[in-house]
Amino acid sequence: MIILEDIHKVYLRKKVETTALKGVSLQVDKGDIFGVIGYSGAGKSTLVRLVNYLERPTSGKVIVDGQLLSDRSAHELRQIKKDIGMIFQHFNLLESKTIYQNVAMPLILSKKGKKEIKERVTELLTFVGLSDKANSYPNELSGGQKQRVGIARALASKPKILLCDEATSALDPQTTQSILDLLKKVNNEYGITIMLITHEMSVIQKVCNKVAVMEEGEIIEQGSVLDVFGHPKHTTSKNFVQTVVRTEIPANIKRKLAEREVSTLAKLEMVGDHATEPVLQALINKFHLDVSVVFTNMTEIQDTTLAIWYLQIEGKESDKRAAWKFLEEQNVRYEEVTF
Amino acid sequence: MFDTNITLNQFVEAIGDTFYMVGMSLLLGTIIGTIFGILIVVTKPGGIIPFPIVYMILNPIINIIRSVPFIILIVALIPFTRSIVGTSIGNNAAIVPLIIFITPFIARLVENSLLEVGPGIIEAAESMGATPFQVIWHFILPEAFGSLILSLTTATISLVGASAMAGTVGAGGVGNIAIVYGYQRFDSFAMFSTVVILIIIVQVIQSTGNKLARMIRRN
Repeated sequence: MIILEDIHKVYLRKKVETTALKGVSLQVDKGDIFGVIGYSGAGKSTLVRLVNYLERPTSGKVIVDGQLLSDRSAHELRQIKKDIGMIFQHFNLLESKTIYQNVAMPLILSKKGKKEIKERVTELLTFVGLSDKANSYPNELSGGQKQRVGIARALASKPKILLCDEATSALDPQTTQSILDLLKKVNNEYGITIMLITHEMSVIQKVCNKVAVMEEGEIIEQGSVLDVFGHPKHTTSKNFVQTVVRTEIPANIKRKLAEREVSTLAKLEMVGDHATEPVLQALINKFHLDVSVVFTNMTEIQDTTLAIWYLQIEGKESDKRAAWKFLEEQNVRYEEVTF
Repeated sequence: MFDTNITLNQFVEAIGDTFYMVGMSLLLGTIIGTIFGILIVVTKPGGIIPFPIVYMILNPIINIIRSVPFIILIVALIPFTRSIVGTSIGNNAAIVPLIIFITPFIARLVENSLLEVGPGIIEAAESMGATPFQVIWHFILPEAFGSLILSLTTATISLVGASAMAGTVGAGGVGNIAIVYGYQRFDSFAMFSTVVILIIIVQVIQSTGNKLARMIRRN
């Protein structure tokens, strides 16, 4: 649906060159909710604006729905933009127009008939739960309501893609949750592919199926959300994951462990059903190992469970080896940890 | 009753003249000035239709005209005025320099008002695939409308002030009474009453402008 190929973006301001993107490639498939996370200045705002060509790449290819954007005329680009909705951190609603008029705007620009506009706007306002606010003005609404209007407006021209530029960063946690639920509904009911950028890992955790981590204009890690959350490779990714899932042993437990003599410390990672299977029981009963739980964490990601266990294991080496084999067969990711 | 040479009729006529001069020059000045203001904003480097040549020509012209005091502008423009309205005296002769005076002022005020519209609004418009004309018409102008009304209010008031100098080229108006009767004939009543009338006119214009702007902004 969206393909970015080796994108470089250099800004020239006051004769000083700043590189915003250094060879970024990614692919968003139809139906994905693709999250891009990074600290401010990582280049994620530039990245999302490439998709609807608000920003043009210095080099590299942007292909949206099979069309190479650099080949298109200004007129064709405007038509392509109508297939791509966008919502913003600060909503960017027209303060001088009613909610109805705001949502109707993309249809007015496409010169649609009054009747068609009325039907579509009414349907959208009902979808986002604001049908009673049609004649209000944006300054009468709360932040969450404004973003709902933003979403309704972005959906007006029946886009295939929705871009979200820090759409929840100006909202409180509860409102954020309700907007994220709405985005999920947009993805499910209308089948719209969503690309969102954020600096909050909890947003990725709650709605995305794929994630790319950005740092200094580069994508340092990307993959399915479950993979990246389960075992992030890069330090920055680890830091982001740590903000929502504890994958590392807390410091005080580490100190206590240091005082004891531990033969083997193992980190087990289980996804989905495995998290509920009696793996521990098997280790104890089948392999006659002494198992004590040092630290554990369970997180819900994408409607499945990610469980991380740190176990202190004592027993015969041969038993341990048999146990590791068993874990492998069970598709439990296993890793011996030293610290 | 008062020691004055001036009649009520003269006052009524003078107020009529002031409104005529201010009204005509405001109408034409607003049309041309708004177009210039929009052109400056959109053709600026980094604007929605970057066109540096237009900007580089328009911007200094506005500055140059704005640097000439109105009283000098009236005199300097006499040949030009005569070639346009056929005469260099009277109300119509005053309207020409008034338009030349107010147009660049309005262009600057319009520029300021339009620049108040945040870049986020324009980005939203562009993300919807709006044409440059649609960005101006459906996004920038409606969002700036309240501020534009206040700008035009300011322009109207400075026109009222400028029109008082129109007596220089033999035009009428309230300001002319103050000079011809109040100043040159030591008629204190004429002087005092014209000041009161001007104060009332300015107050009415300002509060009407404020009210309109509030209506548009708050809705």
